[in-house]
Amino acid sequence: MKQYVLRRVALAVPTLFLVSVIVFAMMRLMPGDVATRMVEGHAYAPTLEALRKDLGLDRPVHVQYLEWVGAIVLKGDFGRSYWTRQPIWEEFVRRFPVTLELAALTILISVVIGIAVGIVSAMRQDTPADYIGRVGAILALSVPYFGLAVLVVVLPSIYFRWTPVWTYVPLTTDPVANLKIMIVPALVFGVTRAGPIMRIMRSALLDVLRQDYIRTAWSKGLGERTIVLRHGLKNAMIPVITLIGLQTPLYIGGSVIIEAIFRLPGVGHFFFEALTRLDYPVVQSVNLIVAAMVVGLNLLVDLAYAFLDPRIRYR
Amino acid sequence: MPSSTPASGTGSREASLEPAAGGAALRLDLRRLPHTRAWYMEVWIQLLRRKPLGTIGAVIVVAMLGAAVLADVIAPYGFAQTSLRERFVRMSAEHWLGTDQLGRDLLTRLLYGARVSLYVGFGAVGVGCLIATAIGILSAYWGGRVDLLLQRGVDAWMAFPPLLLLMSIMSLVGPGVWNITAVLGVAFGIQNSRVIRGVALSIREHTYIEGARAAGAGHARITAGHILPNVLPTIIVVATTGLSTVILTEASLSFLGLGVPPPYPTWGGMLSLAGLDHMYQAPGLAIWPAVALSLAVFGFNMLGDALRDLLDPRLRGG
Repeated sequence: MKQYVLRRVALAVPTLFLVSVIVFAMMRLMPGDVATRMVEGHAYAPTLEALRKDLGLDRPVHVQYLEWVGAIVLKGDFGRSYWTRQPIWEEFVRRFPVTLELAALTILISVVIGIAVGIVSAMRQDTPADYIGRVGAILALSVPYFGLAVLVVVLPSIYFRWTPVWTYVPLTTDPVANLKIMIVPALVFGVTRAGPIMRIMRSALLDVLRQDYIRTAWSKGLGERTIVLRHGLKNAMIPVITLIGLQTPLYIGGSVIIEAIFRLPGVGHFFFEALTRLDYPVVQSVNLIVAAMVVGLNLLVDLAYAFLDPRIRYR
Repeated sequence: MPSSTPASGTGSREASLEPAAGGAALRLDLRRLPHTRAWYMEVWIQLLRRKPLGTIGAVIVVAMLGAAVLADVIAPYGFAQTSLRERFVRMSAEHWLGTDQLGRDLLTRLLYGARVSLYVGFGAVGVGCLIATAIGILSAYWGGRVDLLLQRGVDAWMAFPPLLLLMSIMSLVGPGVWNITAVLGVAFGIQNSRVIRGVALSIREHTYIEGARAAGAGHARITAGHILPNVLPTIIVVATTGLSTVILTEASLSFLGLGVPPPYPTWGGMLSLAGLDHMYQAPGLAIWPAVALSLAVFGFNMLGDALRDLLDPRLRGG
């Protein structure tokens, strides 16, 4: 196990390095000069030369890269926003709980709906309940979450005079008011993400339910509930968990749009605002932080698998 | 004696090759072999026979193609034709789906929107498939260090939430049809190179590859002549299942104002936050683009799923 952990951690290091190279190169190699756009768009500096100097763009590329990475690794300094002049890392930390809460609620909702409908669909295969579940999953896959979000914002306010709450309240000051705000965006996002989870849950459970040990369980005279929930579900969960792990980047990416529509002051909103203000140091750092978090999360998931299923360690 | 007369459909006919100097005649059975179709025809027939949802998807896709190709002919108005006297008109005989804040006909704009979605969708998937095939086959065929390097690069790329990275890149290169097609194409290619690599890896181990090598075939001939044709069904599957994702991504970028710039109508752009205030006055402005987008995604999803099951069942469950 120790050896496996070491090997996995060692593999994550070059990935992190390449992630930083992608972010770094993106800002410098893309057609359309960053500094020109920043000066023309928002006059972040009196002249182009002044901004280039300020951003460090006038120095050799390898020096720029080493200084940028060095500041992050040694001092935890991710630079400053050009718009607010505040350190990016502090702003990120301040806004992260909002995005984390949104993601957690979204995942919770999509997993609960997806798994419940998936189980019912698999247990009652080819009955009306199954068809309704499958059609629902296809609908959820087809309706774009931002379209649904716009409809949820617009339609109820016209027909029922109901609008989502627009002023954000942190979880720590008033949990109930906070949940009232978060539940609508999380529902919109969670329902549309439940489709793939439902489909994979159903097919995995159907696979498991055909296996011999399930037949043994039936012949022992166990009830359906025990067989499906106790014996079947455990083994059917593995592909579901893999899917949820694979989808975490999608939850983070989607939060940009959801937070913009519902005006939640999270990381996604921070990123989108920075982008519209051509505040590229923020764009660069948020990309890097989020990608590094995904690498870390993938590592944790892999280690958790190896811990749960010893066979994986020797593959 | 004519031995090559074509056999008629019903009766069996036998031709005999008379040996030069007596002896038993060699008899050839010239009955027609059971009729076989080319695999690509077979796929469509199986689709119609066994996959009702896939057929519905195909119908939607064909309708969308028709709308995109014939938009100039069937659209009742111009897509940027404004008419300030007819702002926010409700559904009527002149404007089937009503008009928007500038008096532009919504149906017309939806029809032209199909064109943008398909341009970007097919363009990006085309570019992406080329890139995915190149990376995938290169990585699988050469293996070793090339594979290790390329795959770590793909790993790093996949660590980014796709939308975040695409938004950043689109903001840097600027909005535009060509830009978004190229950017989505590259992203699609890198993401799907994994699938192609996996298939190419298993093909590389087959004995016919070894046979080709023994016969003196070079690297180019083995990859292009032996591996590529066998990866082709997978490429088709990747392309058809990927179309809906690409169309959806284009819509989300246009939604954020980073995709196809106005005045050209896109479904994502029509839904965007910039027009939110107008949607309160005419909810149709929000509903119809969302419906069109959902239908398109549904159609491509169903068609893609059905084709995947028919072409390459191994990829099921993704």
